Amino acid sequence: MVEAVTRALCRLPLLLALLALPSAVFAHRDDQYLQATLVAIEPSGVRLQINLTPGVAVAEQVIAKIDRNRNGAISKNEAVAYAELLKRDLTLRMDGRILELKLTASEFVPPAELRTGSGTIQMEFSAISSPLGAGPHKLTLENRHLSVMSVYLINAAQPRFATIQITRQKRNQNQSAGEIEFTFQLLRPKIAESGARS
Amino acid sequence: MNKKIAMVLIVLFGAGLNSFAQTNFAPGAPTAGIVAATKKFLATLDDAQRGKVVFDFKDEAQRKRWSNLPTAIFKRQGLRMGDLTKPQREAVLAVLAAALSPQGYEKILQIVEADEVLKQSGGQTIFGRDEYYVSFLGVPSITEPWMIQFGGHHLGLNITLAGEQRSLAPSHTGAQPAIYELEGKTVRPLGRETDKAFALLSSLNEAQRKQAILDFQMRDLVLGPGRDGQTIQPEGIKGSALTEKQREMLLDLAGEWTGILHEAVAKAKLDEMRKNIAETWFAWSGPTEKGSAAYFRIQGPTVIIEYAPQRLGGDATKHIHTIYRDPTNDYGVKWWKR
Repeated sequence: MVEAVTRALCRLPLLLALLALPSAVFAHRDDQYLQATLVAIEPSGVRLQINLTPGVAVAEQVIAKIDRNRNGAISKNEAVAYAELLKRDLTLRMDGRILELKLTASEFVPPAELRTGSGTIQMEFSAISSPLGAGPHKLTLENRHLSVMSVYLINAAQPRFATIQITRQKRNQNQSAGEIEFTFQLLRPKIAESGARS
Repeated sequence: MNKKIAMVLIVLFGAGLNSFAQTNFAPGAPTAGIVAATKKFLATLDDAQRGKVVFDFKDEAQRKRWSNLPTAIFKRQGLRMGDLTKPQREAVLAVLAAALSPQGYEKILQIVEADEVLKQSGGQTIFGRDEYYVSFLGVPSITEPWMIQFGGHHLGLNITLAGEQRSLAPSHTGAQPAIYELEGKTVRPLGRETDKAFALLSSLNEAQRKQAILDFQMRDLVLGPGRDGQTIQPEGIKGSALTEKQREMLLDLAGEWTGILHEAVAKAKLDEMRKNIAETWFAWSGPTEKGSAAYFRIQGPTVIIEYAPQRLGGDATKHIHTIYRDPTNDYGVKWWKR
């Protein structure tokens, strides 16, 4: 506890300096929570790699949802609880059917680092899909997590398997929801064409 | 940029006119020249300084320690320009002058000077030309791989050298303000990137625009600092759907990043891009009026370039972030990683 308070106090001058900066001068993403998701589609399922970076002005609100006992450190239980909170705000569908997400990896930086606006929380969720049939498929993702303060990026990762070819990506205007159309072929195609967008 | 402004920038950054003469009359250099300039800089340091500035080539943490953020927020290691003597700062600039093309060197000086303008306008000491760091991974060598890093706010240069081969990927350039006055002249560190991108967009016909322009907002870089090893599905219009002239415009635009390095290696990189031009994509997000704040991306088999105006805290056209990556050779890995 003492260590956590000491760490927080050490960061205090920097935090105060940052908060004192006029936003027009220090125009980094200080009042928004950047949620960037990379969607990796594989023959057996889907992986979501999510990077969460709170700006200086919203960091306290985000930390309050993670560091529940306010001791300046994020315990394993607190990390799992926040991952669960995020998971509840995500909806992933394959061909209209909801896929169940499972947390497969996470890395939380200390609250003090989050307060600087440079700290990023990394999470990876995986979902196992029923065996893909050959032909076209549609994956959709919706992220409703802390929508008032957030900006979103959703992008399909370049497939690692030649049997999967992304044919189209669509997002809503603020990228809180995305749709990825892809085809799955049982045999490796003769020409591994890159994705396209119509 | 004219010679007068270049000289002013160099003098302001702490170098003498000799450094400028070097960039004028011996632009860039073979690796031997870069090695010599680096050894000359290292010779100006005491043991403690050398201990801080040289890292093991295998130090992955240091290799990836770069960011768009100011140094007060994202801590760099190495030597801080503000802690060096004037001859030592000159020696650092001589290393950069040897490794970069004249236009690349000027761009870097202009980015640094923009941060000084930001400092002067806001009175904040976390910005400015003193807040840039230099570091090296490995031993300067004409045969073995080693690396030069130079960066701070809106700048992260990562130059990997392996014999006569050199890679700039991944590197970050940016600017705030992206336009300012110096000695009565207007300076735009990323002005050519902006102008060439709008020229390319203007050259597209209606059908091409429908492919190139994404119908959603891109609020930031997708593959910016901290996104090593990630690759995304390309979007927009494919090089095969462009005319020959438009392909040349696309290559010319990409040359604003590849051309930061010395001409010999920049040309090789551009030749590589030219071979893959049919498989290289151009995507646009945002307004299309010339000079407005819009995002664009160039993505091919061996290159990813993103340009993202930052929409918070004022005029987004005056605050730009960019990233340059090579999905096959970030940090020159194909030359040294087994």
